[in-house]
Amino acid sequence: MFVKDPILLACTITVVLPFLSFLTIICYTRKWEKVSCSISIGAILISLICAIYLFIASRHFAEPLQYKLPWIISGKTIIPFGFLVDHLSMLMLVIVAVIASLVQIYSLGYMAGDPGFSRYYAFQSLFAWAMMTMTVAPSMIQFYIFWELVGLASYLLIGFYYEKWSASQAGKKAFVVTRIGDVGMFIGLVILLLFYGNLSIVGVNSAAVAKQIPAPLITISAILIFCGVIGKSAQFPLLTWLPDAMEGPTPVSALLHSATMVAAGVYMFARLFPFFSGSADALQFALLIGTITMVLSSTMAMVARDIKQVWAYSTVSQLGYMVMALGAGGYVSGMFHLTTHAGFKALLFLCSGVFIHHYHTNDFFVMSRQGARSLKVPMVCMTIGALALSGVFPFSGFFSKESIMVALASHPNKIWLAAGLFGEVLTAYYTFRLIFVMLFPKEMEETHHEEEHHEGEGILYWLMGWPLIILASVTCVLGFFEKQFEHYLLGDYILAHGVEHGAEAAHAGGHWLTITAISLVAIGVAVAWLEYGRKGASQEGFLSRMPAIEKLFARRWYMDHFYRWALDMIIYSGFTNIFTRNDRRVIDGGIDGLCRGTEGSGRIASFLQSNMVQYNIFVMVAILGFVALSFLG
Amino acid sequence: MNSLTLYLLISAVLFSFGLIGVMMRRSLIAILVSIELMLNAASLNFMAFNKFLSPDTSIGQIYTLFIMGIAAAEAAIALSIFLALFRQLRSINIERARELRG
Amino acid sequence: MSGSILSQGFLPQVAFIIVVGLTFCGAIIAVFHRNILYNVLGLALALAGVAALYVFLGSLFIGLMQLLIYVGAICIAMVFAIMLSRPVHLPKPKRKISKIATGVFAGLLILGVNIGVIYKTAWQPAAERKIDWSVKTIGDFLLTKYVLVFEVISLVLLVAMLGAIIISRFNGRVSS
Repeated sequence: MFVKDPILLACTITVVLPFLSFLTIICYTRKWEKVSCSISIGAILISLICAIYLFIASRHFAEPLQYKLPWIISGKTIIPFGFLVDHLSMLMLVIVAVIASLVQIYSLGYMAGDPGFSRYYAFQSLFAWAMMTMTVAPSMIQFYIFWELVGLASYLLIGFYYEKWSASQAGKKAFVVTRIGDVGMFIGLVILLLFYGNLSIVGVNSAAVAKQIPAPLITISAILIFCGVIGKSAQFPLLTWLPDAMEGPTPVSALLHSATMVAAGVYMFARLFPFFSGSADALQFALLIGTITMVLSSTMAMVARDIKQVWAYSTVSQLGYMVMALGAGGYVSGMFHLTTHAGFKALLFLCSGVFIHHYHTNDFFVMSRQGARSLKVPMVCMTIGALALSGVFPFSGFFSKESIMVALASHPNKIWLAAGLFGEVLTAYYTFRLIFVMLFPKEMEETHHEEEHHEGEGILYWLMGWPLIILASVTCVLGFFEKQFEHYLLGDYILAHGVEHGAEAAHAGGHWLTITAISLVAIGVAVAWLEYGRKGASQEGFLSRMPAIEKLFARRWYMDHFYRWALDMIIYSGFTNIFTRNDRRVIDGGIDGLCRGTEGSGRIASFLQSNMVQYNIFVMVAILGFVALSFLG
Repeated sequence: MNSLTLYLLISAVLFSFGLIGVMMRRSLIAILVSIELMLNAASLNFMAFNKFLSPDTSIGQIYTLFIMGIAAAEAAIALSIFLALFRQLRSINIERARELRG
Repeated sequence: MSGSILSQGFLPQVAFIIVVGLTFCGAIIAVFHRNILYNVLGLALALAGVAALYVFLGSLFIGLMQLLIYVGAICIAMVFAIMLSRPVHLPKPKRKISKIATGVFAGLLILGVNIGVIYKTAWQPAAERKIDWSVKTIGDFLLTKYVLVFEVISLVLLVAMLGAIIISRFNGRVSS
């Protein structure tokens, strides 16, 4: 069976190897760090090769290929376990495998000497396994299970430095907040299961769903499933966990919280896109959420001083862009932005990882004063990443954002387009604020250890450097493959589903849009240059003249405060109080009462004990015997 | 000879022996021994009725099995109580077990 | 195994009488002997006799279970209890005549009542009788009709074991 079908074999290898590596490391090789990291990296590299093979092999598939093993059979409902090989899943698989393997190689340098080195690689493998299995899931049940496992891996990796209070708190927060969204998603899936009776992805996406389920229910379940996206991809009401998640090691931030895991939400949106497009209201909802998220998080990024926080907020806002694109019906542009974003955001995080590793601080003002620009490779790479992020021409971000704008422009309501363009200005501003601060420090501190690092950390430095260079070159060229990308992704989509694709039509008349977008980016960069870049610039943003707004942005629009307040009011003083009282009064009191009752009655009964058991028995037996005799007689 | 009455008589005699033991002995273990005798007399009754009267010959056997289970549980508890009592009183004489009085 | 072979002929009758005699001997030793160890051995003898009676009554299975559980487990547990509490070395007070009198009186009274009941009742066999001695039927019944009782007995045994362990483990006071 395996020998005859290389695709099945490749799928199995891709998915199973990281899991085996996780088990091996966690069970056997935790003491030997070198063995652990070689196992993990070897497994992910083999997975990567298989994933690339699958990607190429699936090029010509017209129909999605499915391998299913029945896992639970309950009445008519069959829940399978297996693989779904189509263009979308293979694309995501390759993205995950590439980023995961680059990050694992990078981590050799970043995590060197850490006491939890083996544990780190075990968790990385666990994450790779969960994410890849989720990607190829043929049914929503399998998808959901591995969705949660990805959440678990994320929790473990955020709280990796578990001795640190803030890190363990952040892990807990990420876990709980995403769970809120997942509950909604689960309810949505259950509604689907109840009314449609089948959760296979191909089935849910087929046109048969609309015939079987009434339209309001489709909207409700679509919005509920979208809650999962809100949680996992840190969209508007639940976006506060992602900036906190930066407590984990930087490669983890690069892998999970920018490139792959948070993109899982967007991936699910794209995965069920035909289903979602069955309900215009749900798409409208998604568009609204995406826009709010994008604008809010961009404003937060404008005032952050922590380099990872800036990238975290920008991740949230870019995810908002993706959701907007999908919500506006731009299936290809959303996925294309996901792909390019995975590349350049991983690049940005890995670069900042080098700086953090070197200067032991997260504040980029401090880094810049200590001479951050002397680290040539990461600085150049980071600038490339930043250019891509803000959408400057030859880099990948330009093309994907451009296609998102086209998708938004094709939407009848132009307010979304306006919001998207506004977001571009903000993105360019906060990105180049950081870059200019890093490039043109206000005053240099004389640092004496500047020469040491090039010689002293040679191997480690280049272990971290090479993934950067690979990612940077990918970022440079990926944009030019937009046509091929679209062709690859749409190959099956149009054939299999025949849904009209809106973005295509509007593509022709989009020149003015391109020009507007570029000029807006230029405005953003120019403002940043005036405030941070030019000689004698104050390096204070225009927002510092409006302290109220700055404070609003810096405090994340008081969302955390609101959650804390709600938690205190509703959970702690509401439910917890009731339950505590119930526990104390009713349960404890009841058991205490029972004990006291038993003890008391025992005391009373013990007065009857006369120390003459055998005489008592005699009396009893004698009475019994005489009664019996009288009956007999 | 092999009649119901014969078995019932045997069981009645065994029961009376057990009863005499319970009334007469002082050692707690000896009393337990006598109780086991009485229990056996009861299950012998069940088996006899099962053989000669009952509508289904499996049921009496099942009852006997249950009685054995109960007897095992009872013996385990009783013996551990005797041990605990012995540690306190250095005796397992029933007449000295006054501490149970509250 | 079926009752008819054992109930007819001369030899089985002799065997039956010997078994009953041994049972009574065992019971007498178990009740009247002053050495506690002999009591337990007498009990074992009586129980083995009862097991043989079960075989006469047609159920080899229950006879074997009797040997296994009573003679094999309960009696051995009693011997252990005797070893741990050493009542053999304790002083043996003289038997009080009043106690013997009350015991014998009560025993004879109940014996009389029982004999009266046995002879006065007209025992009627059930109208329809299924005669099936196989172990399979017992197992079927245990897991179908009597499954609740079976479970409860299992629970009781479990609780008894836990209780036995806890009670005998604490030194000194049992209550906290």
